[in-house]
Amino acid sequence: MFNRKKFDWNLAVLLLILICMGCVAIFTASTTTIGQHSSTENHWWKQIIFAGIAIGAILLLLKLPMPIFDIVVLPLFLANLLALVLVLFTPAVNGSHRWFSFLGLNYQPSESAKLFTILMVARIISKDHLNKLKQVLYGVGLVLVPMLLIIIEPDFGTTLVFMFALLSMLVAAEVPLFYILLMVSPVVSIMSSLSWVAVVIWLALLVFLLLRVRLSWVAITIAGIVNVFIALIMPVFWNGLKDYQQNRILTFMDPMRDPLGAGYQIIQSKIAVGSGAIIGKGWLQGTQKNMNFLPEHHTDFIFSVIGEEFGFVGSTLLLFVFTLFFLRLINAMGEIKVKERKIASAGILAYLMFQTFINIGMNIGVVPATGIPLPFISYGGSNLLINALAVGVVLKYLNERGFMK
Amino acid sequence: MNKSIPTLVSRIALGVLFLFLLGALFRLQVIKGDEYRRIAESNFVRIRRVSATRGEIYDSKYRPVAINIPSHNLYLISGKITNIKALGLFLNVYFGINQEELHDLVFQQRFKTYEEILLVDNIPYETVLALSERMNYYPELVFRNGTTRQYLYPNHFSGYVGRINEAEFKRYRDEDYSLNGYIGKNGLEKYYEVLLRGTDGREILQVDARGKSLDLFRVDGSRDPLNGLSLVLSIDNDLQQFASDNFPVGARGAIVVSDIKTGGILAYVSKPDYDPNVFMQKISPELWSQLNRPEKPLLDRVCQSAYPPGSVFKPVTASEGLETGIINRNTLLASCTGGLKIGNRFYKCWSSGGHGRTSIVDALKVSCDVFFYDLISRIKLDDAWRHAKACGVVDRTGIDLPSERNGLYPNTQWYQKRLGRSTGLQGYKANLSIGQGEVLTTPLQINTLYAAIARDGYWIQPHLLVKTLGKGRLDREQVQPIVKRRLPWSANTVKCIQDGLWAVCNAPGGTGRALNVAGATAYGKTGSAENALGKVTHAWFCGYIVTDKPEIVVTVFLENAGGGGAVAGPICNRIMNYYVGNLESFKKPAPVPAQFRSLAPVDREEVTEPETPAATESPAPEPGQHMETQSED
Repeated sequence: MFNRKKFDWNLAVLLLILICMGCVAIFTASTTTIGQHSSTENHWWKQIIFAGIAIGAILLLLKLPMPIFDIVVLPLFLANLLALVLVLFTPAVNGSHRWFSFLGLNYQPSESAKLFTILMVARIISKDHLNKLKQVLYGVGLVLVPMLLIIIEPDFGTTLVFMFALLSMLVAAEVPLFYILLMVSPVVSIMSSLSWVAVVIWLALLVFLLLRVRLSWVAITIAGIVNVFIALIMPVFWNGLKDYQQNRILTFMDPMRDPLGAGYQIIQSKIAVGSGAIIGKGWLQGTQKNMNFLPEHHTDFIFSVIGEEFGFVGSTLLLFVFTLFFLRLINAMGEIKVKERKIASAGILAYLMFQTFINIGMNIGVVPATGIPLPFISYGGSNLLINALAVGVVLKYLNERGFMK
Repeated sequence: MNKSIPTLVSRIALGVLFLFLLGALFRLQVIKGDEYRRIAESNFVRIRRVSATRGEIYDSKYRPVAINIPSHNLYLISGKITNIKALGLFLNVYFGINQEELHDLVFQQRFKTYEEILLVDNIPYETVLALSERMNYYPELVFRNGTTRQYLYPNHFSGYVGRINEAEFKRYRDEDYSLNGYIGKNGLEKYYEVLLRGTDGREILQVDARGKSLDLFRVDGSRDPLNGLSLVLSIDNDLQQFASDNFPVGARGAIVVSDIKTGGILAYVSKPDYDPNVFMQKISPELWSQLNRPEKPLLDRVCQSAYPPGSVFKPVTASEGLETGIINRNTLLASCTGGLKIGNRFYKCWSSGGHGRTSIVDALKVSCDVFFYDLISRIKLDDAWRHAKACGVVDRTGIDLPSERNGLYPNTQWYQKRLGRSTGLQGYKANLSIGQGEVLTTPLQINTLYAAIARDGYWIQPHLLVKTLGKGRLDREQVQPIVKRRLPWSANTVKCIQDGLWAVCNAPGGTGRALNVAGATAYGKTGSAENALGKVTHAWFCGYIVTDKPEIVVTVFLENAGGGGAVAGPICNRIMNYYVGNLESFKKPAPVPAQFRSLAPVDREEVTEPETPAATESPAPEPGQHMETQSED
C-alpha cells in the first residue's frame, strides 16, 4: 500500500525529470524549422499522453496489494511469451517482426518481456531451497526462452539487454563468481572462435581461473569440452547462416561496415552531437535535424538532437541526471532486504543502465551497436510505459520495506 | 548504507561508464566541436543516389519504340528555404505550383528526407534559359539535367512511365524507389518494370570545401548503378505503321498481327489511340477530357475489351462437333431455309435465302448459322463450355501486358446465377454456337486461336518480348517461360477446319473472297456480330497466310462497322499483301546494334549524368553546394 513516509521521493522526482526532458527533446526532434516557418509533428503530445498513462500506471501499481502483485507475475510472463510467439507471424516491418499494431498504436512484446522476465527470474532463483547451481541453471533457462524468440524476430539489441539483466541478478543473488565465469564462457568462446590463437589463449585462461577457484576436475573437464565444442561448431554454424543473416549480425556488432545504412546514421549522429560544441545551437535550431540527415531522429537518435541543440552543457546535464537516477536505484537495491525484490531491483537497474549507456554511446560513436532506444527519452509509448513501470516496481518494493523480514 | 558486493559492483560500473561517456562527449563536443560544426554547416557528408538508366524498348529490328531523351528538371532543396512565401509566389507564377502544394512537399512526412525533391520535370529549354537569372534569388531551387521517356508512335502496348505516387511509394517501400523516380504506369513499361528499371547506385560524398576527403568511413560504401535491361519486342515497326495507316479513319477497333512460327505479336493496333508522350508532361484539363471522350482512346481494344465474336467463333463449335464424333467431314445437318425452329422460336440464319443441307466445310465457307444451331443442339452446354475453355479462346492468353481481360463463355451455373434456371437453354445455346449471345472474346484471343489452327492445333502464348539486352540480361525463358500446349483437336479435326477456312477465302461462294494474296494461300473467316453497342454489326475478319509454310495471322476487328467480309476483309487483304510483298525484308534478321554487340559488361556502364551536377546548377557560388545532388538515405 502507499506509504507516504516510506515513499522514495528522490527516485520519483528523478524519474519525472527524465520523462519531462524526454518530452522536451521529442518536441524539438519532431519540429522542422524552415526559414521562419516551423511545423511540429504530433509525436510530442502523444508522448505526453503516454507519460500520463505511465505515471498513472505507477500510481496504480503502488496501490496494488502485494499479494495480488505476486500472483499476476506468472500469468503476465506466460501471456508475454505467447505474444512473443504470435508477433513472429505479423508482417515484417523493415525486415523484422517486432510489432503488433492496432489503432495506430504499436506494441512491442519484447519490451514488456524484459520486465516480466526479470520479475519471473527473481521469483524463481530467490527460492531458499535452491543450491547455487540450480539458481544459475533456472535463471539461464528462464531467460533463454524469451531471448531465443527475440533472436528470431530478429532483434539483437534486446537480447543483449536480457543477458546483462541476468548477469546482474545472479551477482545480486550472490552466486559464486565462477558460475558467472562459466556462464559467460560460451559467449567468449563464440567471440574467440574467429581465430585459433584466441581460442587457445582463452581456454587456457579459463582452465587457470577455474583451477584457482578449486573447482573439481570433473567440472573443469566438462566446461573445457563444452567450450572447445562451441568454438569448433561456431564456424560451421556461421557458414550455415544465409548471407543477409550474417550481414545483419556483423552490422549490429560493427555498424561502420554498412556505410550506406547504420554506419551513415552513426556518422551523421556524431556530426550532429559534435557540432553542438559547448553550448549548442539553441532551441529548435539544430541544422542537422532540420535537414533531415537522420531519419526518425525522435527515436534511437534523440540524443543527437539534444547534443546538437544543447551542446556539451545539455548532454552532460542529461548524463548527470541519469547518473543520479541510477545511483539512487543502486542505493534502493541496497536498502531492499527481501531477497526476491533485491534480485529484481538488480535486474531492473542493469537493464535500464545498459540501454542508457549503450544508446548514448551509439549516438556519439563510441559503442558499436544499433537499435536500442534511450530509456524515458526516446519516443515510444510501450517503451516508456514499461521502463516507468520497472521503476514503479522498485518504488513499490521500497514502499513495502519493513513489512516482512 | 549497505556495502554488499552487488551495490559495490554497480557503483563502480556506474562511475566508470559515467566518466567514460563524459570523456567521450568532452572530446567530441569541446575538443573537436569546431571541426564538426564546420562539417555540419557545409553539409559535406551525404549519400548521393546515382540513378540507373531505364532500359529502352526496341522493335524486332532494333528500331526504337521507347527511348530516353535528355530533359531539364527543377529540384527543391527544402533545407535551404529561407522565405517560403516568396518561393511559393515564384513557383506559382512560373510553374503553377500553389502555396499549398509547396507546403505539402516541404512538410509532408513522405518528403522528409534530405534528398532533393523533383518539383517539375521536362521543362522546355527556353524556360530554363529565361529563368536562370532569376534563380539566383532562390538558392533552394536547382535545375538539373535528367532523362525522360520518348515514345516513337502512338500505341497501346508500350504504356508509359510517370512519377511515382504516394501509394506506389508505400507499396514498393522495400524496393529502393526514389521519391523523384519514375515507375511504369501501364503497358510494357509496367509489366516489365522490374527489368527496365535497373538498380540505383549510391555514392558517399565526404569531401570538404577544398576537395579533401574527410575519411569518416572506414569502408567506401559506394555502389555503381546497374542500368535497366532494354527490351526487344516481336513488333515490327513497319508492319505496325502499315496496319495503323490502313485503319479506316475515325473507326474504332483493333488489328492484331502475329507470327505463326513463334507466337510473337508483329503489329498491335487499337484505335482510336493516344500518344503516350502526353503523359510525360502535366496533362491539361482539355487534353484530359480529350483522352476520356466517348470513343475511349485510352482503352486497349486488343486485349482489355471483349466483344461478341460472331462467326469467327464458329471453328470452336465445329471442332467440338468433330471431336465428339457428332459430325464428321461429310455429315449433313438440318437443312437451312433461312433459319431453324428451336423450341417455339425461329432462329434466323444471316442469309434469309437459306443454304440447304451443308457439311462442315461448306457451313464454314458460307457461314451458315443453321448448321451450328443444329450441331450445338446435340451437345450439352457444359461440354461446349469445357471445350471453349480448352481451346483457350475465352480465358486470358497471358500476353505480357497488364490488365488483360477474360472472355466469357457461359455454363449452366452461370445461367443459373443470371437467369435463375438451368433448363430450357436451347435458344441461348444456339446463339452461343455462332459466337453471339453471351460469348465474349478479345481480338487477341481470336488471333491466338487462329494461329493455333494454322499450327495444326498447337497453341502458343502470344507475347511481345523476344529478348532483353544489356548487362546481366535474361533470356526470354528466364524472364517468363512461354506457355505452349496442344489443343484437344485430332489431326482430322484441324484439317476439316483448315479446309473450311481455305474455302471461305478461295472457293466460289465463300464469304471471304475479299482476300486475294499473290504468292501465298489465304485462310480466314469472316464475322459480323450483332451487339448491344449499336444497330450496325461488329466487323470481324481473322485469317492467316501460308507460303511454303504458315506465316502470319491477321485479325481485324471494327466496332459497329458492318459486315466482316465487306469491311474488315479488305483491310486484312492489304496487310497480308504488304507482308507477302516484302517477305524478304520482314524475314531478314537485323544485325545487333553495336552498343549491344559485345557481351562484355563494360559496354553498358555509362551513367545518366556523367557530367558533374555543378555544371547544371544555378550559378550561386557557395562552398560545398556542388555536393548537394540527388541523394537519399
